[in-house]
Amino acid sequence: MLIVKNLVKKFNSTVAVDNISLTVNPGKIFGLLGPNGAGKTTTIRTILNIIKPTSGEIIFNGNPISYDYYNLIGYLPEERGLYKRSRVIDVLVYFAALKNLSNRNATNFADFWLKKLNISEYRNKKIEELSKGNQQKIQLIAAIIHNPSLLILDEPFTGFDPINQQEVKDLILSFVSEGKTIILSTHQMELAEKLCEDILLINNGKEVSSGKLSDIKKNFGGNNIRLGFTGDNSFLKHFPEIIKHDNYNNYSDIQLRDDIIPAEFLKKMIGIIDVNHFSVIEPSLNKIFIDLIRKNSD
Amino acid sequence: MKKIITISLWEYVEKVKTKAFIISLIITPLLIIAVTLLPSLLLQEDSPKVEVIGIVDTSGIFFNYLESEFRKYELPNGQKNYVLVNLNQLNKSYEEIKKIADKDVLKNLIDGYLIIEVDENKDFVFGEFRSNLFGNFKVVGRFEEAINYIKTKNTLEKAGVPDNVLEKIQVRTIIQQKKISEGDKTSDLDFLTTFFLSVIFILLLMMMVVYSGQLLVRSMIEEKSSRLIEMLISSSTPDELLTGKLLGLSLLGITQILIWVLIGMSLVASSLLPISAFKNFFPMLAYFILGFLFYASLFVGIGSTVNTEQEAQHVTTYLSLILMLPVVVAMPAIQNPDFIVTKVFSYIPLTIPTVMILRLNVQNVSGIEIFFSMIIMVLSIFIVTKVSAKIFRIGILSYGNKPTLKEMIKWINE
Repeated sequence: MLIVKNLVKKFNSTVAVDNISLTVNPGKIFGLLGPNGAGKTTTIRTILNIIKPTSGEIIFNGNPISYDYYNLIGYLPEERGLYKRSRVIDVLVYFAALKNLSNRNATNFADFWLKKLNISEYRNKKIEELSKGNQQKIQLIAAIIHNPSLLILDEPFTGFDPINQQEVKDLILSFVSEGKTIILSTHQMELAEKLCEDILLINNGKEVSSGKLSDIKKNFGGNNIRLGFTGDNSFLKHFPEIIKHDNYNNYSDIQLRDDIIPAEFLKKMIGIIDVNHFSVIEPSLNKIFIDLIRKNSD
Repeated sequence: MKKIITISLWEYVEKVKTKAFIISLIITPLLIIAVTLLPSLLLQEDSPKVEVIGIVDTSGIFFNYLESEFRKYELPNGQKNYVLVNLNQLNKSYEEIKKIADKDVLKNLIDGYLIIEVDENKDFVFGEFRSNLFGNFKVVGRFEEAINYIKTKNTLEKAGVPDNVLEKIQVRTIIQQKKISEGDKTSDLDFLTTFFLSVIFILLLMMMVVYSGQLLVRSMIEEKSSRLIEMLISSSTPDELLTGKLLGLSLLGITQILIWVLIGMSLVASSLLPISAFKNFFPMLAYFILGFLFYASLFVGIGSTVNTEQEAQHVTTYLSLILMLPVVVAMPAIQNPDFIVTKVFSYIPLTIPTVMILRLNVQNVSGIEIFFSMIIMVLSIFIVTKVSAKIFRIGILSYGNKPTLKEMIKWINE
């Protein structure tokens, strides 16, 4: 279990991280979300013990984090790159050795992961000869080769095609079932929504929202429906029951006043337009993200 | 400790494998040796063939003398070195003889010819050696010597000076150079050889510093721009990383030195270099290694703040120019050992290696001075490594603009 308490990091006069707290439970994926420049990378760097916090505590499995934890941590940085002119196997063995794996174990694990991610044939190739997607896979292997118990993944899905994205997703889920502690930082809200149980949303170094994703959704304003219909949507603005609506090609996502019962609203609509779809929906994480950050920035 | 070894081995193996390293390893010393040794080799070479040389002597008094004088020059196989031909035998006018002789030179029938012009008193006024190449220093020198002798002889005879005076005058004064060192040992090692050897050492040191400095800075730029550095320092401490890098670079340097020493030894074995040239070898090697370590630790610190290739080149060029500075004052330093600038440079860590390598061979440097300069080097390597580590710790994580000196000082104090 990773616990971060009242983390503050100042650079000169700017406050990059302002009193952030979070708890990551093993066997769960924790989503660290926020717009660019929100302070995610700084938070991650302090957890990694790359930089020292100005104040606050970071505790992993009951002890304050120190250099001894290096071998337990796996980190995939957002920006990717490897030693371009070196061989795949050499790079992997090097990173494994840096995590205190013996040479033999390192080679064995490297071969295991290369096979698992279907890129065994590139074992003896130079990194620069690989496609971008395959280079990313190598970097992912470099981050997990030592079987870390705390895994920090910064944008693990960018640059992958849908098939590879699925592979990486399955891989991350397999780590969850192994009981690893995982922090996922991403801008891809759809994936975060599917993978993360708990999230922390930060903006300008400060917490905007945190907790179980399901709770956040419930509290966000629950009375949402999706209405599919044929014809013009301009009629929607005449209804006092509607707080807000987002229009798409064939449907509109509508937020109703809390006292309105969706079924009653549907009955009213059937009399007016030709309804071909109706469903009660939860707000998407994407929507929550945008709304909360906008509100926070105002 | 294990991680330091892992990092240093990685740095070493990945760099040794590069083509650029292998090329620099062999090409650099070969180039330097070629440039420094070739001219002297070419000059020393005795042409083993008999040279046919024409003489155009309008006075008629020089030819016989020159012919008898030049008989003393022999080739190693006992043959006469020169065959002199009297071109006045052609019984043609001066202009015609010249035309014929020029043609013969171009056809390689004769190696060259000498024109001697005299005034009405049959005194020498002008000489010209014509051949199809420049650089007949040896034969021209011999003609000059011979003609000079007969000129002096004639002049003295006319003045009524007895012959034995001339013999006395002709004994050449030769001043030999000996270098004195402790324990009454003298050395008669050719000054130029020692001087060149120092210069070769300095050039090698400079090439090595520039080359490995660039190698190091470039690989750090790669690690920074790809954020690999973050993966590295989430696996090891910045100090481990810095020490590993320094060690790897030193291993690289030692490999280079070893191979260069082997080349040097094979030169001694093939007697291209006298063994005595390596008299000061060990102190020189010590300065070489200390100098390399000093600059390597400097490069690691400054290199960590650099973000682009261009900046890297500026940094490496400036640093190696400082290293080269002592060579500029080398000549005054040799002529005047107490030259104040030389003394000052002997105590500045940036210039100690080069100045001391130079001075070791041309002066007698006291043991105390060697001891102190080495202590200064070791201390400054220690200090620079500490300071570099502080800059490194923050520098490797700062992207964007190059930090100002003020910011760097702040990092050091942090």
